[in-house]
Amino acid sequence: MEKVLTDFVKALRNSNVRVSPAETLDAVSVVNTVGYDDKELLKKSLSIVLPKTPDEKEKFETCFDEFFSHELKQQIELNQSQLSDIKDVDSNLAKKLLEGSQAELMLSIADAAEEAEIREIRYFTQRSVFTRRILEKMGVGKLEDELMSLGASREDDLPSELEQELRNQLTNLRERVSDYVQQQFLLHGDVSGEQLREQVFKSMNMAQIDRSYLHEVHTLVRKMAKKLANLHSRRKKNFKKGKLDIRKTIRDNWVNQGILFNLSWSYKKIDRPKIYVICDVSGSVGAYARFMLMFLFSLTEVVSKLRAFVFSSNLGEVTNDFKDAQLDEAIEKALQKHGGGSTDYGQALTDFVSLCLDEIDKKTTVVILGDARNNFGPEKANLLKSINERSKQVFWLNPEGKYRWDTGDSVMTKYSAYCTKVFQCGNIEQLERVISTLLKTAI
Amino acid sequence: MSEGPKKIIEDITEGFAEHGYICSEQIATAVYLASELEKPILIEGPPGVGKTELANTAAMYFKKEMIRLQCYEGLDESKALYEWRYGKQLLYTQILKEQMQEVLEGAKGLKESLDRLMKFEDIFFSEDFLETRPLLEALTSKKGSVLLIDEVDKSDEEFEALLLEILSEFQISIPELGVRKADVKPLVVLTSNNSREIGDALKRRCLHLYIPFPDAKLERQIVQARVPDISESLQIQLVNFVQGIRDLDLKKQPAISETIDWAKTVILLNSEELDAKLAEETLNVLLKHQQDIEVVKKEIPALVSSATETSDGKSIN
Repeated sequence: MEKVLTDFVKALRNSNVRVSPAETLDAVSVVNTVGYDDKELLKKSLSIVLPKTPDEKEKFETCFDEFFSHELKQQIELNQSQLSDIKDVDSNLAKKLLEGSQAELMLSIADAAEEAEIREIRYFTQRSVFTRRILEKMGVGKLEDELMSLGASREDDLPSELEQELRNQLTNLRERVSDYVQQQFLLHGDVSGEQLREQVFKSMNMAQIDRSYLHEVHTLVRKMAKKLANLHSRRKKNFKKGKLDIRKTIRDNWVNQGILFNLSWSYKKIDRPKIYVICDVSGSVGAYARFMLMFLFSLTEVVSKLRAFVFSSNLGEVTNDFKDAQLDEAIEKALQKHGGGSTDYGQALTDFVSLCLDEIDKKTTVVILGDARNNFGPEKANLLKSINERSKQVFWLNPEGKYRWDTGDSVMTKYSAYCTKVFQCGNIEQLERVISTLLKTAI
Repeated sequence: MSEGPKKIIEDITEGFAEHGYICSEQIATAVYLASELEKPILIEGPPGVGKTELANTAAMYFKKEMIRLQCYEGLDESKALYEWRYGKQLLYTQILKEQMQEVLEGAKGLKESLDRLMKFEDIFFSEDFLETRPLLEALTSKKGSVLLIDEVDKSDEEFEALLLEILSEFQISIPELGVRKADVKPLVVLTSNNSREIGDALKRRCLHLYIPFPDAKLERQIVQARVPDISESLQIQLVNFVQGIRDLDLKKQPAISETIDWAKTVILLNSEELDAKLAEETLNVLLKHQQDIEVVKKEIPALVSSATETSDGKSIN
């Protein structure tokens, strides 16, 4: 029975429920306690051990129902005995259907499935293909031929008993194979299609992602952000101020005959960076800004002081919009309010400097997202220089490919001279890498 | 096994009900498994659905001592595990100095003095100077206990790491004294409001129970158990009203505890029937944000009429 359980765990993992080996062991001991007999009880018990978030619990429910309905069906069918006389049939499969036991039949399905490389099944659209393939390997073609000839040779219009029986068995077999494939799909396949979608989204140019997928991308971004947050959240700096650590003080002063001579302090300060983001939201780059802001505002756990500014010609702060409203709404609002119009980097930098140059200190990272296409206006790179001098670092993210920098009205080189680092940032994967670097260096 | 698990779970449900805690089968199963497998349970769910109460009731049901540790930011081992009695330790060193004279009296040479000093029993780090805090107390409790670690999400990540040893091995390492193992494993209940994500390492060691808002039937049972004076029709109306409110888009959904408070309020006002005026006047018992109150106020007539309608239907049936 352990095999059933490990298979079930595998199916769970496939539908994106994270189950560790230790939890599988827990599940085994749960099953040993409650037994397999009561399905409802088993479900309730396993749902306490295996899924560990409300979201996972939901997935667990569907997965459990689906998985165990197949399991049980199989067992019931195995118990039914086959009553049929051995008839005069030619094809192997027909013989097997009529005389073989159910167990044998299941075995031959499994063999055929092995041959059909069922393990390769990934997407739910492949189910019918695999069902067909398995049936073929089992020799359904021959059986169908035989049925045809039986049909042709019959004297009256009524099908013979043999033909009827064979047809029934065939339908039965089809069902069983399709059940089998479904179960194998749960085990091996990418059940929700999520992995595929994630892969595509990650490497797709951000401007090309259709807006109807925003919600999915948002989930993906949040997932990636959480990973980064976990990675970077534990940096802390010792801080010599705050609470007296009595324990350590006494321990340290034991040598001074218990006279408290050297004091120890226990306070630790979490050193969180300040990040200022300036996003170009004019027509061409707006889509990138959306994802950039999405990512950064999903990182509030690690980045406590984040201020966001957007501009096309004049600069405006949007931090508060993001704090109050839903992320999607806030982005929409920001794009609407400041988007469109012709880009003027010079003006934006001037605005930024007059707004908050004073607040920039050596803990501040300034991130600028834009294609540096300035419509041949004054670029005012000296302002960027003064920002760079005051801040810890300046990052420039350019969504365009490197080969397009400095073509046409792009003045990337002029700005990049005053940036600590310049990144190309066209898809979500690149964005993740950039932000990881940002967090690593900003703290 | 003398009794089937099904039977024990039913017993738990009944036993809990006797102590005024109406639990779903899922909750009872979790309690059963936790006591059977000797694993901690992590309970998550919105505030006010009875997470803490579950631990209290479990303590009463199993007739064990209840030890509670409230978590907050900055909670550390000296408050959760154990602490040395510094004052006494300092006094001890003073006494020791005087004692030293006697111990060393008549010793000849440095070596002999040293030998005597080595033989002298040192209790500076010993049980005598150990102040137990909740976690250690739960482990050393001779009769077993129910340890409630409340709102573990409020504590720091460091504290979470500290819990790992206790939760998986039921032991605590005190560097000066060695490992303290529990004689009787306590039933550990952790609660979380999900104000931050609990680490995977901690989750992995626990059974995980999610308590959602109850459905109408369960909530009626709970109100009945907690506010026995309430008439059946009124109770149905109140619960339907609250269930209706939970469908609205609110900042903070009213929880069971609020439903109970509300039922008590209505009883106190001697009302027999829920109407729009009563609902509006007592809404602040149910909702804790002005914004929410305004949202619900607009919906009151519709909510009241649907709540009373369904209750009429029920009472006729």
